[in-house]
Amino acid sequence: MRNVGIIGVGYTPVFVSKRKDVNLAEMVSESVEAVFRNTGLSPDDIDAITFGNMQTFEGVNLPHLLMSEHIRAVDKPIIRIATGGTTGMSTLQAAYYYVASGIYDVVLAVSWEKQSEGDSQVGLAGIVMPEAMVMVQHGMDLLGGRGMGGMGGGSTGAAAYQAMSYLHHSGADPEHIDKMAALERSNAALNPYAHLRKKTTVEDVQATPFISWPLRYGHTCPTSDGATACIVASEEKAAKLADKVAWIIGVGCCTSDPSTANFIEGQMTDPADQTVCKIAAKKAYEMAGIEDPAKEIDLAELYDGFAHQSLMWLEKLGLCKEGEAHKLLDRGVLNIDGDLPTNPSGGVFSTNAIGSSAMNRATECALQIMRKIEGEHQVPKTVKKALAHGWGGLFQYVTVMILSDTPRKI
Amino acid sequence: MAFQMGEETRQVQATWDVTTYNYKVDGRGIKLLADGMKDKKILGIRCHNCGTVYVPGPPFCRKCYIPIDEIAEVKDSGEVVSFAVEMADVRGNPLDEVRVSGMIKLDGSDTFINGRIQVDDWHDVHIGMRVKAVWVPEPQGNLSDIDHFEPI
Ligand SMILES: [Zn+2]
Repeated sequence: MRNVGIIGVGYTPVFVSKRKDVNLAEMVSESVEAVFRNTGLSPDDIDAITFGNMQTFEGVNLPHLLMSEHIRAVDKPIIRIATGGTTGMSTLQAAYYYVASGIYDVVLAVSWEKQSEGDSQVGLAGIVMPEAMVMVQHGMDLLGGRGMGGMGGGSTGAAAYQAMSYLHHSGADPEHIDKMAALERSNAALNPYAHLRKKTTVEDVQATPFISWPLRYGHTCPTSDGATACIVASEEKAAKLADKVAWIIGVGCCTSDPSTANFIEGQMTDPADQTVCKIAAKKAYEMAGIEDPAKEIDLAELYDGFAHQSLMWLEKLGLCKEGEAHKLLDRGVLNIDGDLPTNPSGGVFSTNAIGSSAMNRATECALQIMRKIEGEHQVPKTVKKALAHGWGGLFQYVTVMILSDTPRKI
Repeated sequence: MAFQMGEETRQVQATWDVTTYNYKVDGRGIKLLADGMKDKKILGIRCHNCGTVYVPGPPFCRKCYIPIDEIAEVKDSGEVVSFAVEMADVRGNPLDEVRVSGMIKLDGSDTFINGRIQVDDWHDVHIGMRVKAVWVPEPQGNLSDIDHFEPI
């Protein structure tokens, strides 16, 4: 298997709630143009394209073919990936597989979402439509007002169960979620590509209303419009094409039962269990030759649709012991200038063009390693190894990618 | 003169209402559960191999990957494994009255169900709390036959 590195990243100029000035294809093309501009490469250098966005969100079913000209895919191989919230990282992992296997040398991975043109709640409802209809037939009040079964509160409702379970088992307080939210939003204020860019205090977070205890409005991610493009290359090609490379030294992904989705067949499990995350991380660490992630990982970009999740993932990923993440937070370890900067970009929690959200975790790690961060959120410490994480699906699908300043020894 | 694209062509509305899906769903487990509720019974399926009890019952054991069909009655009492206190609806509109939604492991079951928990003060709800179903006066054989759960 060959070494593969990220040699360039391109973002849309902004990630915002509504890009009314461009259509879907025009917006995505901005990220593709940006990655060519940033690398000095041209479409001629690209062997194949991987492409990802959420199913149903915009109601356009073959976007990769519809916008093939805008992403410079004409006359080239292309594949579309859609794995839910993890889509962006799955798309990048697919590009990695292509190059690692030796099939292609240079691959462009593109991911995006334009949530303002679609309806994410419809997209989410479409995940369990047959089961939900059967539940209604049998007298379940889907919105949870009465009886057995109803969950209520959309994805925030299910996330609240997860947050409550996490708090109970970790010993963290609800105030730690406020604190993590304030930390990440303040990081986002430094990042020109973040959506919600406002220096935020714990008091600011605590002034927002609760949606579903223990989660407040100020604990939830926005819906964003934006796109990301990333070029990966083989070691041989990278030496010719790039001045700096962030090497992908470990990848992992894992699924389990649909933990919050399929009520009708008795499948519900604790959404804070996340054994899948431990399995995905173990695979990635083994591949990367990492024995003690808490010591060896310098920086983490985690998929946190909700602010409690950053703390939960740190534990599940083995970046600290279970029940310790909130103590690291209190000690300043997770700060941008701390020992383990966590979501220096502001995380998904501050910017969520969902199809690209998991890719951005990896591209942010890559830019931190290459010291090519635009804006003020470059961490002061030297980043040798960074961990990027994606989460989504039915609360039970996790992707992990380990990036490094040096390639794997093969 | 250069072509100018008007605002009205930059934004068009589209609604999907073009078809009806026809899904095949194995509803045996949920029918068993709902039918039993007419007699205030909660019925799931037990795996004859590993003993796991699922409510509602699936057609196969998720651990052993074998077909299962042994009916198992579980209690209408259980333990809160997690909960959320809903204060706004799916679209973020505040609810008139907050609503405690519990994830409950019924006694005798290995899986969880959801249900509303009725308490005077939601601050009293905690993980590990014991709760019991409150049935409607005349059960009809559907999931709403349990009106809510209350602390024991
Ligand atoms: Zn079994």
